[in-house]
Amino acid sequence: MQQAGRARAVPYLFLLPALAAFALFYLWPALNTILSSFFRWSVLSPWTVVDPGRWQFVGLGNYLEVLGDGRFWNAVRNTLIWLVIFPIVTTAFSLAVAVLVWETARAARIFRTVFVLPMTVSLTAAGVLWALVYNPDFGALSAAIGVVGLDGARLDLGPLHLRLGEWLSDVGSLSLGITQIPLVNLTVIAPAFWALTGFGVISFTAGLTALNPELVEAARVEGANAFQVVRHIVVPSLRPAMVIVAVVFVIYALRTFDVVWVTTNGGPGTDTEVVAILLWREALAFFDTPSAGQATAIAVLLSGLMVVGAYPYLRSLLREAEA
Amino acid sequence: MARPRRLGTAAIYAVLTLLSIVWLVPVMTVVMTAVRPFAEIREGWWNLAGASLTLDNFGRAWQEAGLAGKTMNSLIITGFSVASTVAVGALAAYAFTRMRFRGRGLLYFLLITTMIVPVQIILIPLLPWFRALGFSEGSWQPFLGMVLVHTGFGLGWAVFMLGGFFASVPRELTEAGQVDGAGHLDVFRRIVLPLALPGIVSFAIIDFVFVWNDLLLGLTLLDQEHQPLTVGIANLQSAHLARQDVISAGALLAILPPLVLFVVLNRFYVRGLFAGSVK
Repeated sequence: MQQAGRARAVPYLFLLPALAAFALFYLWPALNTILSSFFRWSVLSPWTVVDPGRWQFVGLGNYLEVLGDGRFWNAVRNTLIWLVIFPIVTTAFSLAVAVLVWETARAARIFRTVFVLPMTVSLTAAGVLWALVYNPDFGALSAAIGVVGLDGARLDLGPLHLRLGEWLSDVGSLSLGITQIPLVNLTVIAPAFWALTGFGVISFTAGLTALNPELVEAARVEGANAFQVVRHIVVPSLRPAMVIVAVVFVIYALRTFDVVWVTTNGGPGTDTEVVAILLWREALAFFDTPSAGQATAIAVLLSGLMVVGAYPYLRSLLREAEA
Repeated sequence: MARPRRLGTAAIYAVLTLLSIVWLVPVMTVVMTAVRPFAEIREGWWNLAGASLTLDNFGRAWQEAGLAGKTMNSLIITGFSVASTVAVGALAAYAFTRMRFRGRGLLYFLLITTMIVPVQIILIPLLPWFRALGFSEGSWQPFLGMVLVHTGFGLGWAVFMLGGFFASVPRELTEAGQVDGAGHLDVFRRIVLPLALPGIVSFAIIDFVFVWNDLLLGLTLLDQEHQPLTVGIANLQSAHLARQDVISAGALLAILPPLVLFVVLNRFYVRGLFAGSVK
């Protein structure tokens, strides 16, 4: 009897350290974020569960304030730019690179290394590197554009206004009727694109190695050209990898902070301010402003969106664990 | 070699070579800016006429910009965080793969969810929480707090990835061990850990890169004296009188450790990334 009781306790002993760390430094803060988003508080005089005397309950006030704030929607627009551009471009590009590298049997290792290595570079450092490339005075980009005589060029094509030269402040805009897209967001996305392409290349390369060579050979014998082989055999077999890669990139795009922080800090003005940056500013830029509640409300909205968006991926992970 | 190459090998090589050059430009820029006097860089780093080498920038980054201390901080935070996450995560992953217990499904769901939910969900309350627990000041307390946060945050990945590796240890082996009268702790230590060691190394590398590269947690939770290298570089970058030469040297310092780890242990790293997808 006692024996059985002890055996039942064993799993929990194995889990104890993990559960303690997880409960104290994840679950509790997360719960705290959700609860405190219904109160008015600042980081200097924080909302605490044990001190009901100082609670300033505002109900959905923080959410309403956030949703009624033009700055929030500006951040949402910039995050949407990330969300649309970054996963699609990075997934497609890394797929193309992986397939091209796969076709070059001999130099594959060298090429693959070039594209994969930036993956280990922190997004902070990637931002620093690209800020150098973007430097209007001695950066490589302005110099390269200058060689073809386009440095400082402006292009106005209907809704598109392009400015070349000030890469991290004024790159022009694209008007979409309802909103203006500041194109400087694209130059801010580029370092992340550069750094994270490696993840896609690694993933797709693994998929390609698992590809049955006989299938490819058979198709070639049947007279399929390289493009047809890629389109009808290679790409379909990489579909699972594509889903994983795209989901990882979507997750990254939604919570992006580092690159924006080091390259433009959200500027000029709020042209590149994404949701994660806005949230940080609301809570932490000025400790005494009582807008931490709004910041936690943003965190809840952001996380809710993420969980809903990534739920299919989560389900497949869980199913895999059950199997 | 009967591969009919209609796409044209030459064309593929040309495209890839061109892209590789573009891909290497940021790296060449940072290396050149770090090892040459700034006066020369102003003419463009590709301008090699009369180029001279200097290590001054590293010296300045290391001492004047205070990156020596920040590097130390990064090493402390990363080292202890990885050790703690691996130890705590391995025990938990063993329980999830080899034991049945009440609440297993729910716990697993909660842990896995952390892989998807952005860190922002815990970020803001952590600051007052740090203060309440006494982690906001002291010599080692902030490090301890940071290590615990990284452990809590990394657990989802640890349980998921290490669980994958542990699951690939044949059940017959662990069950045979138990029939011989060994307890779970023995089976874990003598059978599962040694067999899953390559997987554990993979996870450790990935966690190292993740913790070492963190900016947001360090920026938010730590004071000047305890901030990691990433924060130091970000601060240099946003300073009004930006010194590109010093920043470049600092960025190289930050890039090198994970890069070296990657190159040396490439095999493990790649394997780790596929813990989930390839079993």
